[in-house]
Amino acid sequence: MEKNFIIAGFGGQGVLLAGTILANSFMLADKNVTWYPCYGAEMRGGTVNCEIVVSDTEVSSVHKQDTDYALVLNQQSFDKFVQRVKTGGTIVANSTLVAETKPRADINYVFAPMGDLANELGTSKVTNMVALGVLSSVVDVVDKNFLALGFEKVMGDKKKDLIPLNKKALEIGFDAVKI
Amino acid sequence: MESNEKVLIKGNYAIAQAAVNAGLQCYFGYPITPQTEIGEYLSGVMPELGKAYVCAESELAAINMVLGAVSTGVRAMTTSSSCAVALMQEALSYACGDELPVVLVNVMRAGPGLGYIYPAQGDYNQSVYGGGNGDYKIIVLAPSTVQECIDYTYRAFYLAQKYRNPVILLADGLLGQMMEPASFGENPYPEVDVSSWALTGAKSREGRAIYSVGPDEKKQIQHIYNLFEKFELIKKNETSYEEFNIEDADIILTAFGSMTRNIKAAMTVLRDKGLKVGCFRPVTLSPFPYERISNLAKLGKKFVVVEMNMGQMFKDVRYAVNGKSEVSLINRPCGEWLSVEEIVSAVENIYKKGACYATSI
Amino acid sequence: MQQVFSIPKCMKKDFRYTFCPGCDHGVAVRLVAELIDEMELQEKAICSTCVGCSVFLYNFLDIDCVEAPHGRACASATGVKRAQPDKFVFTYQGDGDFASIGLAESMHSALRGENFSAICINNTTYGMTGGQMGPTSLMGQKTTTSPNGRNADYYGYPIKIAEQIALCDGTAFSARVSLDTIPNMVKAKQAIKKAFEVQQKGLGFGFVEILSSCPTNWKMTPEEAHKRVREEMIPVFPLGVFKDITASGGNK
Repeated sequence: MEKNFIIAGFGGQGVLLAGTILANSFMLADKNVTWYPCYGAEMRGGTVNCEIVVSDTEVSSVHKQDTDYALVLNQQSFDKFVQRVKTGGTIVANSTLVAETKPRADINYVFAPMGDLANELGTSKVTNMVALGVLSSVVDVVDKNFLALGFEKVMGDKKKDLIPLNKKALEIGFDAVKI
Repeated sequence: MESNEKVLIKGNYAIAQAAVNAGLQCYFGYPITPQTEIGEYLSGVMPELGKAYVCAESELAAINMVLGAVSTGVRAMTTSSSCAVALMQEALSYACGDELPVVLVNVMRAGPGLGYIYPAQGDYNQSVYGGGNGDYKIIVLAPSTVQECIDYTYRAFYLAQKYRNPVILLADGLLGQMMEPASFGENPYPEVDVSSWALTGAKSREGRAIYSVGPDEKKQIQHIYNLFEKFELIKKNETSYEEFNIEDADIILTAFGSMTRNIKAAMTVLRDKGLKVGCFRPVTLSPFPYERISNLAKLGKKFVVVEMNMGQMFKDVRYAVNGKSEVSLINRPCGEWLSVEEIVSAVENIYKKGACYATSI
Repeated sequence: MQQVFSIPKCMKKDFRYTFCPGCDHGVAVRLVAELIDEMELQEKAICSTCVGCSVFLYNFLDIDCVEAPHGRACASATGVKRAQPDKFVFTYQGDGDFASIGLAESMHSALRGENFSAICINNTTYGMTGGQMGPTSLMGQKTTTSPNGRNADYYGYPIKIAEQIALCDGTAFSARVSLDTIPNMVKAKQAIKKAFEVQQKGLGFGFVEILSSCPTNWKMTPEEAHKRVREEMIPVFPLGVFKDITASGGNK
């Protein structure tokens, strides 16, 4: 088993952090994992993305053109990465900022108002955690409980007070879409 | 950070922290993508530990600061990337001639010239053969995972002092920027006694001079012979490589650095298709495992070199094979790493059509 | 019989200068050596040597020396001093090494306030390669690469090193001295001592530019060469202290 994820959005939406938490959740689940960011000029224009590969064996290519899953938080990222999802793969989009269109017939679409759900919790800063919650509800290999542990690992002892809110965001995301 | 706990960490930060664990006393550097995080990380850590950190005015200055610092017996390093490493070639030649344990980390980007910040492996020649003057050799270690970034950093500092020779840790933008689970453990290498040569002031002894050349021709000739005797010793003791499924293989995929990951995955796919494919991966690019490759070639095993440049290691593999079997090349100059699928289909073609030289994809 | 003159203790017993007859390098090295003795620095001194006429300094002084590539003595000295803050670290360079190929390293060492001392011999030419135009060659000066004399349109202007170094905030002491007369030699020694002292006190970069003769490449007798230092160099490169943060009432 080897699966690829791309997480993309505006700078400031917590995209790289969401990827880091996802990668940590895989590490805590004893899987092989890599995290690879876009960097340099690729970052200009306000969008950022990172790629996560999870595998039962050693990860081969950490940076690929196509992906099994794309988690996109804004329209620009949707437009770009919908083209890079493998046939049969899934794009998970933040419908607060992404129009619910389906430009390709050979992939799956999941839309959830991640930004609105985060705002209902009082801050758009947890949009990324809502997004990871949504992802865990539609992708088997992504585990909500390991995501919570991954969040704790990334935040360390200094930011413990953020844990309850972010766990709640995960839960809300997880419940947002019923397939 | 010294424990067996696995942490998800970037290659750049892994190298930086491993250097600290290895006893880094001084860091000198100048920013360049994709390795800037190393300097940023150490700018926070080094002052806290009461150790030296200098934002050098150029790479030229940075490497020469390392030269000065290591001459006093401490561990020091600089880190940089391709086009800026080019600026350091003069000092590397000096460091070899002066027998100074300089440690240089090169997180490769694309060239020639300014090139771009895409990952690439175009500094094989610059590292292994060097751009400095005179006869000299550098020890070059090429990690393929973040864990190896840590392990080889420990090894780099040890080898540099053990042999009084510069060591290059040759990583690439992919390794520098990616995160992967790794653990620091403890630096496994012993301390090296530098008291017989380090500059610490002429107290109860005569003054020492560290220099590469003198006006005495005989001494100079002998100095170079001595250096090459040392290089032979390094070759004998330190040449290292990894191999997988070599025994029954009729084609051996060969790569260095992070491309190793891709050839191993391609090997698995090709084996599943019934093709007898193995993998060979030099860990030390210098000293290069010529002898092992030569022996495998004599058994009739064919080589396919996969690298992100126009065929730089390819030449060394051909030199080692020396006509005893066939050598092919699968390559791309820079940018997106050759994918497992691309490697698989290129190798299948080689099976069908025989050896192909310079199959640029 | 009383011995009134001897070779400084920190000079090698069997040393032979490789400088040309009449060259001021020999005097400058001796002044440095006398001060290393007087200030008891031999056991803690580390010199970052340069490329040029003084490249073989390590054959004259019985102290620890590390060779730096051409122009990089100040970078190498930065590394030595940062690694060994308790040692006494200095460079001994020519004007080509310090102010031409190594200007960036020299200037930035001063700007960072690196706590070592730098001595720069200014003889208005590249001596070791046989008298080419250097960064300090005077206007009108004929050299092997300015055969018709230096003119501004074609070659630009000479650099006033001590003044430039004095402008750097990290500089603790910067002076220009000359070795053309005995009184000037005494003053030169005082200035070098000051540059060494500011390092001992941890105050920052100490710098002395020494105007020096080069009879061989100037094609003059030693007397004529010293006359040139007095009559042609000093008017362009005035002697004096340009910065001394230990001086009372300013000059900081």
